[in-house]
Formats: sequence, C-alpha cells, structure tokens
Amino acid sequence: MSATVEPDTGVSAGAGWPLLTGQHDDASLTDHLLSPIWQTRPGWWWLFGLSCAGTLLFIGTITYTIARGIGVWGNNIPVAWAYAIVNFVWWVGIGHAGTFISAFLLLLNQRWRGSVNRIAEAMTIFALVNASLFPLLHLGRAWFFYWLIPYPATMGVWPNFKSSLPWDVAAVSTYFTVSLLFWYLGLVPDLASARDRAATLFRRRVYGLFALGWRGAGYQWARYRAAYTLLAALATPLVISVHSVVSLDFAIAQLPGWHSTIFPPYFVVGAIYSGLAMVIVLLLPMRRVFRLGDVITNAHLDAIAKLMLTMGLMLAYSYVIELFMAWYSGNQFERFTYLVDRPTGPYAVLYWVMTVLNVVTPQLFWVTRFRTSGPILFIASLGILAGMWIERFIIIVTSLNRDFLTSSWHFYAPSWVDWSILAGSVSLFAFLFLLFIRFVPSVAISEVKELSLGLGEGQVDLAPIGSVEAEHA
Amino acid sequence: MTNDGANDLTRRGFLKFVGASLALAGLDGCTRMPAEKILPYVIEPPELTPGVPVHYATSMVLDGYATGLIVKAREGRPIKIEGNPGHPASLGATDAIHQASLLQLYDGDRATSLRSGRQRSSWAQLSAAFTPSSLRSRVGARGAGLYVVLEPTSSPLVISLLNRLRTLYPDMRVYYYAPLAGPNEATVARYDLAPADVILCVDADVLGTMPMHLHHARAFADRRRDPRHGMNRLYAIEPSLTVTGMSADERMRCRPSAVEPILAHLLSTLGGDRASGPAAAPPLPADVPTAWLAALASDLRAHAGRSVVIAGPHQTPVARALAASLNDVLGNAGHTAWHSASPLAEAGASGHSIADLADALRSGGVRALVCGGVNVAYAAPASLGLSSLLTRSPERLYLGMYEDETAERATWFVPQSHYLESWGDARAYDGTLSIVQPLVQPLYDSKSLVELLAMLGGQAAADPRMLLRQSWQEAGLAPTDEAWTSAVRTGFVAGSGFAPVATAPRSPIGPVTTAATSASPDSSTTATAPDRFEVVFAPDYRVHDGRFANIGWLQELPDPITKLTWGNAALVSPATAKLLGVSDGDGLALRHDSASLTIPALIVPGLADGTATIHFGYGRRGHEHAAIAAAGADAYTLWPAVGVPFMSNVSIERDESASRALATTHDHWSMEGRDQARIQTAAAYVASSSTQRPPRAPLPTLFQPEHPNGTSPHQWAMTIDLGTCIGCSACVVACQAENNIPVVGYEDVLKSREMHWLRIDRYATGPEENPAVVTQPMLCQHCEMAPCEYVCPVGATEHSSDGLNEMIYNRCVGTRFCSNNCPYKVRRFNWFDYNAELTEVERLVKNPDVTVRERGVMEKCTFCVQRIREAEIAAADAGTALHGGDVRTACQQACPTNAIVFGSLTEPETTMMQRRAEPRAYTVLEELGTRPRVTYLARIRNANPELDHA
Repeated sequence: MSATVEPDTGVSAGAGWPLLTGQHDDASLTDHLLSPIWQTRPGWWWLFGLSCAGTLLFIGTITYTIARGIGVWGNNIPVAWAYAIVNFVWWVGIGHAGTFISAFLLLLNQRWRGSVNRIAEAMTIFALVNASLFPLLHLGRAWFFYWLIPYPATMGVWPNFKSSLPWDVAAVSTYFTVSLLFWYLGLVPDLASARDRAATLFRRRVYGLFALGWRGAGYQWARYRAAYTLLAALATPLVISVHSVVSLDFAIAQLPGWHSTIFPPYFVVGAIYSGLAMVIVLLLPMRRVFRLGDVITNAHLDAIAKLMLTMGLMLAYSYVIELFMAWYSGNQFERFTYLVDRPTGPYAVLYWVMTVLNVVTPQLFWVTRFRTSGPILFIASLGILAGMWIERFIIIVTSLNRDFLTSSWHFYAPSWVDWSILAGSVSLFAFLFLLFIRFVPSVAISEVKELSLGLGEGQVDLAPIGSVEAEHA
Repeated sequence: MTNDGANDLTRRGFLKFVGASLALAGLDGCTRMPAEKILPYVIEPPELTPGVPVHYATSMVLDGYATGLIVKAREGRPIKIEGNPGHPASLGATDAIHQASLLQLYDGDRATSLRSGRQRSSWAQLSAAFTPSSLRSRVGARGAGLYVVLEPTSSPLVISLLNRLRTLYPDMRVYYYAPLAGPNEATVARYDLAPADVILCVDADVLGTMPMHLHHARAFADRRRDPRHGMNRLYAIEPSLTVTGMSADERMRCRPSAVEPILAHLLSTLGGDRASGPAAAPPLPADVPTAWLAALASDLRAHAGRSVVIAGPHQTPVARALAASLNDVLGNAGHTAWHSASPLAEAGASGHSIADLADALRSGGVRALVCGGVNVAYAAPASLGLSSLLTRSPERLYLGMYEDETAERATWFVPQSHYLESWGDARAYDGTLSIVQPLVQPLYDSKSLVELLAMLGGQAAADPRMLLRQSWQEAGLAPTDEAWTSAVRTGFVAGSGFAPVATAPRSPIGPVTTAATSASPDSSTTATAPDRFEVVFAPDYRVHDGRFANIGWLQELPDPITKLTWGNAALVSPATAKLLGVSDGDGLALRHDSASLTIPALIVPGLADGTATIHFGYGRRGHEHAAIAAAGADAYTLWPAVGVPFMSNVSIERDESASRALATTHDHWSMEGRDQARIQTAAAYVASSSTQRPPRAPLPTLFQPEHPNGTSPHQWAMTIDLGTCIGCSACVVACQAENNIPVVGYEDVLKSREMHWLRIDRYATGPEENPAVVTQPMLCQHCEMAPCEYVCPVGATEHSSDGLNEMIYNRCVGTRFCSNNCPYKVRRFNWFDYNAELTEVERLVKNPDVTVRERGVMEKCTFCVQRIREAEIAAADAGTALHGGDVRTACQQACPTNAIVFGSLTEPETTMMQRRAEPRAYTVLEELGTRPRVTYLARIRNANPELDHA
C-alpha cells in the first residue's frame, strides 16, 4: 500500500521522544484524526464567535479605509509606509514555516513532519491570504491594483519591471498558488477518508467532490507520490525566493536602514523563525483541545524549538552584522540610523523590546525542559511573534521617520484604524483556521498511518532533529 | 456589378456594414449629456479669448499703504497674484499675504448678505435709513453723534469722500485705526539699503513686516550676490527672532526693555554728545555684551555715511528718535535714511486714536458708529473694552468681509467687497499713487468702503469708478484721459512718490527708560519672582493682525521662523523653557495686573532669555471656520495699549489646561552635523575661493556618463541662492496658488501631511542661545538619476526629455514607494480627497492649467511645467526660439530677493547658469548620485571679524 520507509538517519540519536504514542491501528487512527470534523468542541464556538467579531471589524475598517482614504491611518510623509507593510511582511513571514515544514522537510526526509505539516500548510495559506490583502489595501487607489500585474493593456503600458513591487506581486502570487496546490494535493487522500466515513449524504457528496475520485489504488498512490514530491521540489526554492523578493522592496531603495545586501537571507531567516513560532502557537491549543497528544508529541515540539533556536541565532547574527556594516561603511547616514536612531531615538524602547524578544527568548531553548514545556513554548512563541512584528516596524518606520534631511523628520503614530486592521487580520486568520480544523482533516492521516506502518506497530522511537541541525548549522 | 480589386466590398458585406452602423449609431443615445446648462459666450468680450489669461494691474492696501500687483485672470476669474514690477513697494515681488489674498476673494465664509439686526436687508433699505436728512435727525444737525472708524487711509478718493461727509456733518469724528499700523506721525522714516555697507536693525523687521519690506529685501539682496565684492553687513539687535534676524550677519538678542539703553549707549559711543542725545544714558543691562556693541560701533563708524540704523516702527518714540540721531551722527541722514511726508490722511493729528473712541463711547456721546472694515471688537487691546463699549452706540453700522466679532455687535451689517472686486486708490509708503482696480464683479451683495462713504454722503447709487475718476480729476492727479488710462493700465503713477522733507528740528529725546531687572536664569536674586518676564507683541507673518485668519493658505503656511501652522504660541528661549520647566506645547499662563492669557509654549533658539514673544491674530471668536479652527491665543487680551511693543513685569507660570499639540512642520532645528544647507563666513569663503580649487570631480557611476535626457533643446534647472533667501515664505504660497495645492487642516499638519510642494527648511547652527540661521527652499530636485522613478511599480513618475521629473497622476496607484525613496522627502500624498468639500465658489480659485489631484495619488513640484509648456507654445506660435530664461516659475516670480532663478542648462549666459559656476554652488546630498537639477549657493555670512565667534 505505501512506499517503503527508509530507516531514518537520526533514529538512534539521543534518547528522544516517540513520534506516536498509544495503541492505534489504521482504523482507529483515522477515526481519531477525523473526529474534529464530525463534532465540535465547546471552546470552538467561543473562539469562532470571537474571530467572527474580529473579522467583521476587519471588514468594517477596510471599508472605512477605502471609503475615506489612507488618511484614516497614521501614515504621513516621511513615514509613507507603516502598519500595512509591517503587517504584510509579518504575515508573509509567518507563511513561510508551512511550506518549510512540508516541502523542505519532506525533501530532507524528516519523518516527524507528518503530523504537523497539514496545520503548518493551512497556516501558510491563511497567512498569505492576510498578507496579500495588505499591499492592495495600502494603495492610495486600491481599485487600480491590477496595474501592477503585467497584462496586455490597450494603452500598451506595462508595469515598471525595475521596481520591486511587481516582483512582489509575482513572488507572492506564485508562492500562494504553489502552497495552495501543495496543501490541496496532500489533502486528497484524507478527503477521501472523510468521504468514506461521512455520516450524511450531503457530506459524502461534498467531501467526495473534493476528493477527486480518490480510491487509494496503487497507481493513484504512485502518481500522488510523484506529484507531491515534484510540488515539494517546486515549493522549496519558493520558500527562499518569496521573502528574498519581499526584502528587495526595501533593499532596492537607497534609504539607510533599507539599502542593505544582507536583507534577503536575513528576511528568510526571520520569516521561518516567526512561522515556526506561529506553528507552536497553533499546535499547542489544538493538541489539547482535540486530544492529539498521541500524534503531536514532545518530539515535534522539541524539533520545532530546536529549529527556532537555530533561526534565532542566525537572526541575531544578522542583527550584529547589520550594526557592524553600518559602522564599517563609514557612511554618516547609515551610522545614524543603525547606531544612533534605532537604539536611542524615538522608537528606542521598541528596538530594545525587539532585541530581547528575538535574541534573548530563543536562548531558553538550549534547555531540554523548556523545549518540551507547553506553557513556556507558547509564551516564548508569542513573544517571538511580537518581536518579529516589532522588527518589521523598526525596519520600516525608524528608517523612514529620520532620513537624510533633518527638516523632514517626523514622528509616526498609528491611528485606531491601524490597530483595528491589525487585530482584524489576526481575527481573519483565526476565523479561517477555525473553519479549517472544523471542516478539513487537520492532521495528515495518511502520512501518520504510513509512519505508524513503516516504523512498526505501537511505540515509535525516533529522535529526528540531528539531521536538520546538520543542514542549518 | 463587378468586384474588381479596387473595390472588394461585396453587396452582402456592404449591407452588413450598414446594418452594424445603424445599430451602433443607436448606441450613441447611451451617452448622457450633462444635466447642467452650459452657457457659451454668445457675444464674446473682445478682450477675452477663452483659455488665454488676461492680466490687470491693481493694488493691495494693508494698514493704509498700497503695494502694486498684477493679477492674472482666466475667463473672468482672478487666479494668481504677482507683484507689479514697476511699483516701488513691490518691484515685481510679493509677500505671502499678497499671494494668499486671492483665496480670500473666494472664501466660502465671506459674508454674503446685508442685514439689519438679524434681518436680511438690502442696500436700498440701508441707504433709505442713512439718507443725510434721516441720519441728521439721529446724530444731530452737525453730526456730533456720528463717529466713523476707518483703517488708516492714504486714498485720495476716501479723503475726498470724507471731506464731502464733513460738509454734511461738520462735527463728525473720524478715527483711523489698524492695530499694527505704524506711529501716527506727519512724516515717515524712509531708508535706502542699496548704498548701505552696514545696516543695523534694532528690533526692526525691515525684510519681513515693515512697510516697503519687499523693496528693502531686494536692495539688501542685491548687495549680497557676490560675496567677494561689496557685500553689505547686517546687524540685528532684537528680542525675538524675525526674518531680518535670521538673515543677519551678526545678531544680538536683547530684552525689549534694553533696546533704548542700547541705542543710547551706541549714540554716546559714536559721539552723540550733541544736543540731540538724551540727557543721561542709563547703564546698560548686565547681560548686554558690551564688546559686541563696541565692535558694532567701530564698524558703524568705519562706514559713516554708508550705513543705516533702523528702529522698528513699533518701537517707542524714544528708540526711534535715538536711531534717527544715530543716523545724523553717522552722516547717513539724507543718504540712506530720511523722512518724507506721511501718505496717510490726517497723519500726525491727535485725537483720532482708538482710545479716544473708547472714551467717546464710554461718555455716551456716540449716536451712530460707522465702522469701515476694522474689526474693532477683536483687534484692539482688550483693556479698552471696545467689544462691550460698542453697544453704547445705539446705531452700529459695520462694513466687514466676515460675520466676525464686530459684525456680531452691529445693528447694520454690510458685506465688504474684496479689493479685487472694488475700485479705489491708495498711496504706497513712499507716496506713489496706486490704483485699486477690480478684476471681477462682486461675487456677493457686497459693497466697498468707497461705496459706503458715498452712500453716507448721499450718493447711494454712485458708480465707484466714476467717483474715482472724478476725484482724480478734481485733485489734478490725472488731468487727462491719457494720464488716467495710463494710471489704470500700469496700476500706479510713476514718480508720484513723496520727496524727502527736511528733518524738522528734533525735540530733545525724552528720558531713556532703564531696562527692567535682568532675568537671566542663573540670576539667583530673581529666580523666585515669577513676574520678571517681558512679553514681546509681534505682527504675525501670516494673519498679520488677525484679519487674514480665515485664509487657509496662510493658516497652513509654516511661520518663517517657528514653522508653526494653525495657531500661535508663546515663543521662549531654550533657557527660559528650562527655567519654566516646559517643552513644546506645554501650556503657560501669562499674567500682568488683571490681564491674563493662557497659551502653549514653543521653544525657539536665539530668543532673549526671560522673554516670551506672542503673535497677534489668533484666538478669533467670530464665525469664520478656518479662523476658529486655528488653535491660538488672543494676544490682544494682554496687550496694554495700541503701539506698545512689549510689556514688562509679566508673570509666567505653567498652566496644564493650555497645553496643546503644536502643528509644526519642521521641528528639528539642527542639521545633525550634515551639510544640506551650507553656511560659511565671508572671510573663509574669500580665502577658499581665491585659491584655485580643483573642480569637483563627477561621482563615479555605473550608468552611462552621457546625460540620459539630452534630447530636448532645453534642459530645465534651477539655482537657489541661500545667501539671499530670507525665509519670507512668499514662494510657498505662490506655489500653492499656482499649482492648486490643497489645504489639509490642523489635524493633518499634526500628522505631517501638509501638501506644500515647496517648503522652506530652516536650520540653526552654532550656540542655541544665538545661532546662525539658514533657510533653504526645498522642492523636487528633479534629479537626473531620480530615486523615485525606478521604484514606481506602474511608471507613474518618469523623466521628460527636457529634464523634468514628471508625475502622471492618472497612472499613479499610490504605493508611496517614490516618497520613501526620495532622500529630500519633497513628494506629497493625497491622503484624503482634499478638494471634495470645496464649494462652487471656492473652486474658482483653481488654476485651470493645473490638474486638481484626486485622492490617493502622489504629487510634487513640477517646475511649473504648465508655464514651461505655455511659453513653448507661445514661442512656437510666434515662430521664435524659446529663451529658457524667459520661463519663470511661480516661486521665482514671487521671490523678493531673486534668490530663485530658473532656466535651461543649455543657455550658459543666463543668471541661472552663471550662479551655478560660483565656487559656493553645490547640490544637496550630492554623494547619493541623484544628480539634482536644483543647485544651491551656500549662504555666506559676512561676519564681523572682531566678533567671529565661530
């Protein structure tokens, strides 16, 4: 039925935690993992109601913005970009971990990804939905957004390909398309399982429609495997490229604080970092609410925490290199932005909060106990998410608010609409995610079963991280 | 029928086309015609071609003195004001107020209807109520109960109308009042800065607010074009920081009470032991640097006869007399300083001050008060109590432009015509006869002062133009029709200025007031007494005395010094702020006897310690939207009496309730060690430019070395001389008027969203107690390698073949990336639809040659591309080659000092190109490789070597 599982290189490394616990056969695994879509848990409705309210706020404030103008935000000259672009970069960054976990780790043969990849991929999709809204919303004339797309207009005008914004459109839309396809392709066998077990005709029809006639035949599995791996191979470079391109929105400008060649790798690292933090923030409550402790184990938490530590260290390195390069350049404007304005200027408090959250917090993960402690992981991940949001704010706003001519220096403060849109976008994300876990199999059942089959019945002993660290050290 | 090759349309094909054409023709009906009636010129006025502007000469009168203007009209509506090049008070330049007065014409808050009490009324009813016979019954047969308040007037027509009124009402009393008018004297002090090598301004804003300031600014600047030859030196002694003080080579701050002792000291130093000197000079206050005064005195002495000492018209008579004596002693009298007859009516006569009117009202003798355009209920010292005293007169006829404070108390209110709607005349400060010519019929049911006075004189239906013509005929001002036509066409009568008068034997100068106790913050003896401050009252550069408070362009114009918009503040020095424990925006309570004022503080370097400066014109209480929207405090409530420049023994304390966010557009005085606005002493400059410096090498570039846009015969560029930019900000308003730049309001300025395409940056270098200030007009630099262009995702900003960085508004989607990447931050974004709420009338001010931008698009300086194209088309029509130097941008045209010059890089003989060749020429942020088309000339400070504290 399934391909042979190669013995994992990291199997024997350390006394890790099992990837699966409890006694399950294929049928019970399927029942167990499909249960969230048949019945709701009491907390779900509360969260769903809250996210609905927040989404309404989002829609309301977007409508208000489009009706009145971008002026309802706090943006000004010199700070012409602020919350919308911060939110955009933040959400795109969060959208990285999903494909990273699914595609990167699939290619690297990291078996532990099986029980968390679906959640991570869904997170990617929903983060990208949010992310793609912001560049449109922040246009002065949002109704002409399509002028950024190369299409054969009757006037013969094309986008200006020298600008990084059309690159952005291409990069994000490509990434979104591939991520969506990848996610959906992975879902097909599980949708078929849902179809087969659905209690009502209507549900059978709906799941059946989306299962694309999947029957679990051998030839289907063979083609599915090939397609899935191909898509993974396609998605993997996109993980690197999309945030590299996003970083070029800043790096091609000549503004001190933006004009920096370290930006592409620096942004990718930061993106994966924040995405992993978001995965933790989503996994921990799900594991508790849907009793998924047997498929999402300490092994997964440990692996993700170790990745976060790695990314955190790389990010800290980027921070240091940025400061060094600013000093080494000898350029007075660069030096001012990095060495004077950010640490001591009007947003200095945010700068230091960011440094603590992004650089100090992951150091907790040197300690094994903290890597597997739910509360500590959860709070640390929230801190990292906040820290990464602040990092984008620092990059965008503090570079703009004090640039070359001191006469144009001006403080930026967000308006209530800015805050509402940020809260609304988080709500929309939660809204979509809650719908996802309610209607779509949120753990890759077929992969878990495969894992269970391939590594023997019952307890699986696998410490997966060693090889990952080797790749990223 | 054959189908040959020439006609391959078949019968079937033909029928198809016919059918399709018919069907499509039916669709034509889908185009909806606009519902409004549009009215073409059935009979076109011969002088008017639609689309071709016409220009008329007129004059604007402020506090009695005329400035000649040329106003541009399109299809009958005035759209731009320029200076009249031949008029001595303008010389082709304007100030910010002249520029903005255009907006007042179209002000949506202007009063539109005549009323009696609260009832709407008419001119006919008013004239019926004020016929001489009926009015005599109310004010007495000889008019003893008739009181008239006018602005000081130099108008021969108004004078003749008043004379006519006097024949009807011999006992009528006339008062001339404008709060900031100069002293009421029979002669006026005149100066010529052109021959002066050394200029000393003692609290005299000779370049900013004094009469003839445009003339003086030109003369001052003309002596600073070449720092190597014959550069003048400007000394300023002043308590506050003014436009003149910012331009000074050497500036000393002093408390206002020290002005008289300083002048007396100077006079005695320079040999003022003549009879003209004061009996005894009081000692100088301890905080006045005597070494500085000694250096000044020796410089003055060295330039005796080629120097000038100017005391502000608002200074005390003693201070002005001392300054006049100094000019006598230095032998300047007759050369650079003299007196001529005052052009004002009844100048020097006593008994017609506003205080006399208050007395008359209090005594109850006033039966009818006619107030012609003076908002006495607001713009007068509150201590006079005029706002309540007005109602002591049973009849109050007010002619005003707005439903303001005085209108509220009027029994009859007549909307006043704007000067662009009125016929009239006036004299400039130097006496030059000037014509006030209307460009447009009154927009509303309004009347001019001339019509009101004529009505009171029994000529309710008189045509003001005929009255003017008659009056000039009778007075012999325009004896012939040719003379009259010529005067109307040119706007003034050349050579009609007043000749110098022999200085009357001056009466001995009165006792010099001793300066108040020093209040330097470190003086421990006074540190506990709060009432040791001095308050300086200053005319506002924008709203003057408050009459222009409803003009959005002026409210939003950053003050030349503080960069404050939409309101005023108590300006205090950094040390004073520290003493008071306040920072920008913190409230202060100022008290003196029973008068008090709460106002936020604003820290300004270079102010005298222990003083606070307050500008007039804010804290309005009428019904004008912009005037009320401007958050400010009413300086009149504290002003002790008309003409008093300062007040001593004021207590200042913190008052949280008056705290307010101040909408400043530029709150960072320091350049942070950068060199965007360069300033150098003359000695250093001469030393450096005499040694042959290697020409600046072009920056290394990866781009093609050839200029990328060299395909057009003209390559537009601008040169701005920081050495002659005085920061007056006329260019900012001129740009706003020319380019349809919207007003955004207090809230949006607070958020740094002002839309000015051209701003004046102002930096201070040196010690904050007395810094050297440099002002820098900053506009789109039209970079050849423009950072904004490559980042625009839709190509909405592109380079033209003649070197302009162009905005394509209808392509802009508003990503604002261009602004982020502009190192000069000169791009402006339409955060809202700022034009949406304009009424039909308010829209008339828009220049039809310039697009009105919609919400969500970026905009910026275009180098007045509409003027360039207009000139190109005119040259092409005429079949001549366009000379690039003939195109003048709006900012250039308004500039009183010719600091801004525009032209083409391809014409090396122009001033613009010659200035670029000076060693002090540089481009801002040159190291970025943007290759700006705007070149700046560094300001050269002609420092006194003896005082060189740099």
